[in-house]
Amino acid sequence: MRIGAMLGELLRHIFRKPATVNYPFVQQPVPQRLRGILRYHPEKCTGCQLCMKDCPSNAIEILTVDKPNKRFIMRFHADRCTYCSQCVVNCRFNCLEMSNEEWERAALRREPFTVMYGREGDLKEFLKKTELEVPQLKL
Amino acid sequence: MTIEQKEKFVIPIGPQHPALKEPAHFEFSVEGETVTSASVRFGYVHRGIEKGAENRNWAQTLYLVERICGICSNIHSTTYALAVEKLAGVEAPPRAQAIRQILVELERIHSHMLWAGVGAHEAGFDTLFMYSWRDRETVMDLLETTTGNRVNYSSNVLGGVKYDFTPQQLEAILKGVDYLEERLHYYMKIVTTDEAFSKRTRGVGHMSTEEADALGVTGPTARASGVTRDMRVDDPYLLYDKFPVTIVLSQEGDLQARFVVRIQELFESIRVIRELAHHMPEGELTVRFPRRIPEGETVLETEAPRGNLFYFIKSDGSDRPYRVKVRTPSLRNFTSVLVGVINHQLADVPMILAGIDPCFSCNDRSVVFRRA
Repeated sequence: MRIGAMLGELLRHIFRKPATVNYPFVQQPVPQRLRGILRYHPEKCTGCQLCMKDCPSNAIEILTVDKPNKRFIMRFHADRCTYCSQCVVNCRFNCLEMSNEEWERAALRREPFTVMYGREGDLKEFLKKTELEVPQLKL
Repeated sequence: MTIEQKEKFVIPIGPQHPALKEPAHFEFSVEGETVTSASVRFGYVHRGIEKGAENRNWAQTLYLVERICGICSNIHSTTYALAVEKLAGVEAPPRAQAIRQILVELERIHSHMLWAGVGAHEAGFDTLFMYSWRDRETVMDLLETTTGNRVNYSSNVLGGVKYDFTPQQLEAILKGVDYLEERLHYYMKIVTTDEAFSKRTRGVGHMSTEEADALGVTGPTARASGVTRDMRVDDPYLLYDKFPVTIVLSQEGDLQARFVVRIQELFESIRVIRELAHHMPEGELTVRFPRRIPEGETVLETEAPRGNLFYFIKSDGSDRPYRVKVRTPSLRNFTSVLVGVINHQLADVPMILAGIDPCFSCNDRSVVFRRA
């Protein structure tokens, strides 16, 4: 039986550097498989909506601009997403991926959390059609 | 739950209290400083998960049950995936089973180290708390590199796993567990030889083998009292029949035995991880899984870090579960606290409660008691 059994270890640690990382000023390297925000590449999307079906929190909406020509855009609710990547697994055409660079996504207002993805021309056409329904345009 | 309250002086420890991190309401009847009886009330973090599962399809429920508990999230997700695969008559490929088993054992390491820190913190031994949590960062980093997240790994899909282990990651896992084994030997030495800590844990909260068996205690709490119960040995799932664990027992039955049993279990887990990492089966990661599961019901029990985890899943042939019932180990271990605190000082109560490794968020299902 010893009194202060950890004392030796403690004294040794006086001469070592601290274990904490000074976060905002020092960034640790990010693992490659980190699941940050979702990114959508509309080139191969066929509008099958399998990503929407299995999303646990209904964070993805695939909106149709022109079905026969396969033009789709995605409205992604980053505040609802649980970052589980089930959508990435479901997509058979590799249109989805989770970024490992954009993961510090705190914001002071609600609007930055609704992200619209798509080709430039498709987005413009969709927003023109539904101008009254997209509140963030009225800033 | 009430066990005969006769005395007049009752101390309530309400849902907000500094002793534990989670809300529960306790009432201790005391005589002087000695506790004579106790009762408890839960339900403060009931979230309606079982009800929520009825409105979601099979894949969505997988992510819902993962969030029942933050510490043991992977075993919930693995048990659900195994149970649904059993219902559908599909078996995940061997490489996926091996990856699942490694992640489950890594989670056990993280959970027991977290508990060692919290148990020491309840005794006031903050140094052990800080140092064991610093070393726990090794296993959290390993989990983040392999699955992408520190908790709620979301590594399971119905039919297999999402992420594979590259050879570099397996190397990193082996190096990590080597470091952890060395540190765990040190913590075992501290827990058994430190004079002040032993005074608070030796002989405190003693529970004999017969009592533990009669109260239905499971997990390391039961094994510390000599009850031979471990789901990985009694009914092997995943690859536990090819890479088995040996049951770790202790006959002391007090709080120190619970520390010792948990740390020794981690040595077993590290041994299994090493064996698996050296003999990983080759193959694919997932198998095709149907959208609709045929009608039927199934029961699956696995060994969570806290004890025996029980899932009952019923399907009515559609793409949604009809009923998911979860019974977590912490609920079974609570009666041992109500019996174990009798004739102890009030100051020993937080440690006895911490000794069963309570997880209140796992607990809150609706349970109906009927007096026989």
